[in-house]
Amino acid sequence: MRRSRALGSFVPGDTLAHRLDARVKVLCLLVASVASFATGSPAGLAVVAAGLAAALAASGTSPLRVLLALRPALLVLGFSLLANTVVLVGQPGVSTSGFLRTSLAIARIVLVVGFALVFSATTMPPAIADALASLLGPLSRLGVPVGGISTMASIALRFIPLTAEEVLRIRSAQRARGARPDEGGALRRVASWGQVLVPLVVLLFRRADELGRAMEDRCYTGEQTSLAGPLAARDWLMLALTAAWTALAVLL
Amino acid sequence: MIELGNVAFGYSSASLAVDGVSLVVGPGERVVLLGRNGSGKSTLGRLMNGSLVPRAGSVSVDGQRRELARLVGYVRQDPRNQIVSAVVSDEVAFGPRNLGLSREEVLRRTEDALSTCGIAHLGDRMTSELSGGQQQLLAIAGVVAMRPRYLVLDEVGSQLDDAARLRVSGIVRALVGQGVGVVDVAHSVESLFGADRVAVLASGRLVWQGAPEDFLRSDRALGLSGLASDPLARALAVAVAAGYRLPAEPDPEGLASYASAPSRVSRGEGSRTGTHELSCAHVGTSYDDVRALDDVSLAARGLTLVLGRSGSGKTTLGGVLAGVLEPDEGGAALDGRPVRVGDVGLALQRPEDQLFCDTVLDDIAYGPRQRGLGEDAALEAAREAASLLGVGEDLLERSPFELSGGQMRRVALAGVVACGRGALVLDEPTAGLDAESRQELREVARGLVERGAAVVVITHDAGEWLGDATSVALLREGRLVAVADPARAASDPVLYETAGLAAPFSVRLCAALGEVGDA
Repeated sequence: MRRSRALGSFVPGDTLAHRLDARVKVLCLLVASVASFATGSPAGLAVVAAGLAAALAASGTSPLRVLLALRPALLVLGFSLLANTVVLVGQPGVSTSGFLRTSLAIARIVLVVGFALVFSATTMPPAIADALASLLGPLSRLGVPVGGISTMASIALRFIPLTAEEVLRIRSAQRARGARPDEGGALRRVASWGQVLVPLVVLLFRRADELGRAMEDRCYTGEQTSLAGPLAARDWLMLALTAAWTALAVLL
Repeated sequence: MIELGNVAFGYSSASLAVDGVSLVVGPGERVVLLGRNGSGKSTLGRLMNGSLVPRAGSVSVDGQRRELARLVGYVRQDPRNQIVSAVVSDEVAFGPRNLGLSREEVLRRTEDALSTCGIAHLGDRMTSELSGGQQQLLAIAGVVAMRPRYLVLDEVGSQLDDAARLRVSGIVRALVGQGVGVVDVAHSVESLFGADRVAVLASGRLVWQGAPEDFLRSDRALGLSGLASDPLARALAVAVAAGYRLPAEPDPEGLASYASAPSRVSRGEGSRTGTHELSCAHVGTSYDDVRALDDVSLAARGLTLVLGRSGSGKTTLGGVLAGVLEPDEGGAALDGRPVRVGDVGLALQRPEDQLFCDTVLDDIAYGPRQRGLGEDAALEAAREAASLLGVGEDLLERSPFELSGGQMRRVALAGVVACGRGALVLDEPTAGLDAESRQELREVARGLVERGAAVVVITHDAGEWLGDATSVALLREGRLVAVADPARAASDPVLYETAGLAAPFSVRLCAALGEVGDA
């Protein structure tokens, strides 16, 4: 059974953005997000936008996906634009400055969503976990279990599709026995979710238990060899470019 | 070598799961561990790799008594429960990364293990996108990458189709050739090929040990392992008595000159076609751009087997027949009337995972109650289904969660039988059960067919159901490529190849016997 990829999930490919080291991408995402909000002028924003356009091109991501990703927020964004533009109190009319101010704010949000999308579409989930572990590495001296956190993140990512699949299976088995989960009042529907949750929770605990044993069988202790290699020339170049681009955007 | 000296272990203080077992496994040796469900096979395996600590006795591996998991790899039955990572290569690297190796060594071992298991081309794929067979190969690669000196394989083949099982046994053979000692926990007779030794467990005790040929000669050993009634075991026993020696891999041609035709040739024909008919016409359905089913028409009376590789649309077809999946085109019908949800019983894989009521009786009665039967009638239907599945009266008031795995499976199936009176769809009903439980379940299916029900069994293990089938349907990539009568299905390997499957051993044997007879 194959389903369409969820928005924001990894898209296999071999673009420049895919080949960059995940640590570099995490740093760039961080810097780009800061730049999107730190820049003051429309000219600075234009520079940031140019950066996003370059990132979209380098990752083979369609700008349409950015708009799709924004869909859930569209209503709120549209409403805030309207509310800031149309003045009802005092002297009713249209406020140009309000409109401009809100447009800029919305542009910043669109930019950040765009950057995040490029990042998640080109970086495999375990690589994200490893990159975070490696960047948080210094914290382990303070006693933070960085390795454990990264393994936990990796397992959580692995279990999401499994859990969704189980819910589907349990529901269809119950439907075959005559359950009508989508009918009846709110109370009945809540109760019907209870029927799904009982077997789901039992199953997930059993799975977790077995997975824990399987990890123990494979000698997991929490300490793992880091798979992060030395950075390639293009990674350093990317870091330098990002730094210069951010400086330009903020200073303009 | 792995040395177990008088080992005992119990999960509770009152009972022992393994009781006084002494066993030695050497390097480059493959020992097959047989026994019924609950005989302590998995427990013994886990004692060998140190994940369980014996209550009495000693376990040592090449003289070592600690950190046994580094020396003894362990692969489980269900690959989904042992895959840690979302990406294939990262999954294989997980073990080596725990061993304190350098990054270069980890990457080298990962690559080696992927190519040893023949899945190097899948390195960058998401683990959740793999088929069951590929996932099991991945699980083996993840353990092989740790370069263990010994391997415990805990029923690794039981959820795989014949083709995947052949690949796995090829990999295991190569590892044994390299000097890895293998303990193969199994319940199928086919595991005997290429084995150096057979050990049989019963109620936690080691009750028999010896060469595979001697195992087949010994009625006592066959009986204790629960394989006495297995048709293939009987055919092999006859051949061994006539002087046949088991080769490294199954060879029906060689066996054919020793064996007579397997005793059970389809009892499914003729009179036992039921009164109910479950059918579908021109069914087509798609997930996104993938065609899951394409113009499938099928009329099922009696017991119909649905075969096909994983991803061929078997389970989707089951859902359509049971009315829980709305196809894009066409539809299913029971006795000519369109199927409504609840008309046809549907048991998905591992139905015991779907129990949810407080008592066994409530769970079985859930379906009849939902159908709007009165309370008395619903309980009546539930009790009837329970007795049909051999769920004892004493279990009815207990919580389903305190039963054993085999009992839970029966309760879940009783719940399904209680709903679908005229027709049932069973998806892999015998997976993970031992030989005797599987036989009992086949008898239940036979009983339902005799009462007139149309039973559709979706399975990866064609061999075990052929004797009971009324007809056999083969799917490939969503299309129905053949519908065969049982006589043809039992003797024609080409039939399976058209569906991209490997023919079951019994079918290959039957074909080989036919050729011997013709000559």
